[in-house]
Amino acid sequence: MNNVSTAVSTAVSTAVSTAVITAVSPAVSSAVSTSVGTALIADDEPLLRDRLAALLHKLWPELQVVAQARNGREAIELFDEHEPTIVFLDVHMPGLSGVEVARSIGSRARIVFVTAFEQYAVQAFEQGAVDYLVKPFDETRLAETVSRLRDRRAPTPPSNQELEPLLDALAARLRQPAAAPVHLQWIKASVGPSVRLIPVDEVIYLRSDEKYTLVVWQGGEALIRKTIRELADDLDPARFVQIHRSVIVALAQVAQVTRGANETAEVHLRGRPEVLPVSRSYVHLFRQM
Amino acid sequence: MASVHPKPSRSLTRQVIASINTGSLGVAIGFAITAAALLNPFFITPFEVLLGRTLFLSMFLLLVFVASQRLPENRLPAWLPRWLFAVIAVGLAAPLGTLLIYIVAVGGRVSDVFGSSPRVTGFVITAGTALVLGLLITLTAQLREREARARSQALEFELERSRLEKLALDAQLDLLQAQIEPHFLFNTLANVQALVESNSPRAAGVLQSLIAYLRAAMPRLQEREPTLGAELTLVVAYLELMQMRMPDRLRFVIDVPTALHGQRFPAMALLTLVENAVRHGIDPSEVGGTIQVGARLAPEALHLWVHDDGVGMAEHAVPGMGLANLRARLAAFFEPAAQLQLQQAQPVEQRESQRGLHAEIIIPTASTP
Repeated sequence: MNNVSTAVSTAVSTAVSTAVITAVSPAVSSAVSTSVGTALIADDEPLLRDRLAALLHKLWPELQVVAQARNGREAIELFDEHEPTIVFLDVHMPGLSGVEVARSIGSRARIVFVTAFEQYAVQAFEQGAVDYLVKPFDETRLAETVSRLRDRRAPTPPSNQELEPLLDALAARLRQPAAAPVHLQWIKASVGPSVRLIPVDEVIYLRSDEKYTLVVWQGGEALIRKTIRELADDLDPARFVQIHRSVIVALAQVAQVTRGANETAEVHLRGRPEVLPVSRSYVHLFRQM
Repeated sequence: MASVHPKPSRSLTRQVIASINTGSLGVAIGFAITAAALLNPFFITPFEVLLGRTLFLSMFLLLVFVASQRLPENRLPAWLPRWLFAVIAVGLAAPLGTLLIYIVAVGGRVSDVFGSSPRVTGFVITAGTALVLGLLITLTAQLREREARARSQALEFELERSRLEKLALDAQLDLLQAQIEPHFLFNTLANVQALVESNSPRAAGVLQSLIAYLRAAMPRLQEREPTLGAELTLVVAYLELMQMRMPDRLRFVIDVPTALHGQRFPAMALLTLVENAVRHGIDPSEVGGTIQVGARLAPEALHLWVHDDGVGMAEHAVPGMGLANLRARLAAFFEPAAQLQLQQAQPVEQRESQRGLHAEIIIPTASTP
């Protein structure tokens, strides 16, 4: 990284203070120096595609914008069709994200990521060796990128192996909230002719028989086909606990637990008459600390 | 569902013994002494013996009463209210208990009790007194218990109310904190920049929408009564901004009768649903879709809905603060009866994969003066 940026500052006469480097493979680099550059713009917002195309035309008239893609899938298709030397990639696109498109392109072209304010993404970029533009960007900022792209003595580009960690970091950071495993958030249940989405936050308890599971939530009751076992694996264990072969209860809804016969127990709910059984193998959950 | 039956956690006898306290014991002893004093003039039996009998009788009645109160709900026939059950139980126990005393007194033979007319008179007087006093105390006790239950219910209700108030306050605080997502703002500004640079005549209109949106979405303190009309202005401003950004993917239809525009309505409530429809329904879809915002006043409730035919909500889609916050705000602004229902929209025939989401706010007419 260090010797790379030294190479840049010596190569580019107008001293570039930022440590932003453009990725380019040797094969592509020689192509750029001999023939006219071609570019693909991928962004789901047409006004932004048009503006970027217009600005590029002004700053770099020889560059040909060969295609514009409206989403990630189109970007990959159009890239394979036109094989441009430069790809401007919006990070946030429907279907496939810019990060996934970059994975598919690899080091076959120079990639410039375009993103709106996204702190995590920007942090990732600053550690990686790929150029990026933050929306809304002005002409001067784009001119810097263009001058780096046009530089014939561009530094050795990152290989796929160097690109991967950056893309991994980006993908992880874009998927917020970071790191936390995503548990079931909605239970889809048929109520009359419609399929209701029940937020798991409102679920009080779940109780099953052989075929169906009864979901009792603050807004009513409904039967679903999922089994208690499937639900137990998918619900947030910090909020839901299985207390019986066929019963899961929301911890926040438990008013008190009383001891029963045969080392079993009973769960009493807040503001509700139902009493739920705790079977022997789950009683330890409520043992006093 | 009936496969899991809760078993009674303790035997009835243990429960009955556990629930006899000094208060009820005191009343029973008082009852016994009073009865003995009342009966003393009519009996030749010494007062101590009489008192022993009334004490036994009162303890017996107390046990029967407490047992009748503690009998589990599922063992009581549905047609028999508990208070009536207690009255019948005590009513039967009074003569039975007296009979028991007399049988013991005469040495175990029933015929001896009814063979002598003074004994029959004694039995009738004792049983009658036990019956009258027993029933009187039973009814009083039930009345007091009912009052106590009402008091505890009122307390529970009060607690629930203060919990709701706290939730509403939290929701309001959340609302006062940053509402505008930087991602939305900067993307929108990038589009406005593009329009301005290309000298597009649309720039002025779009700026107008952005200003309207920012003004409404800015954290603010109490202002004049928010209305549905004002909310619709905000929703339209937001949708116009999004349509500028994705003209090929977003269409919208607003269908709210003008008569409803004056309706008081919590600020940002519809916007939250519209933003949710864009974020989870339209934006992730390559083909986009249509958002329909509508309202209808039915006899029993006001219905407002935001309907989209986008990709729909995935079971693992993190709902964000918006929706939970909205429920709390609705409950605070109207009453807890106001609901937010989310359901899967019916699939459109040509686009089987796109199911969309139908979000509906239902406000009972009673709470919309």
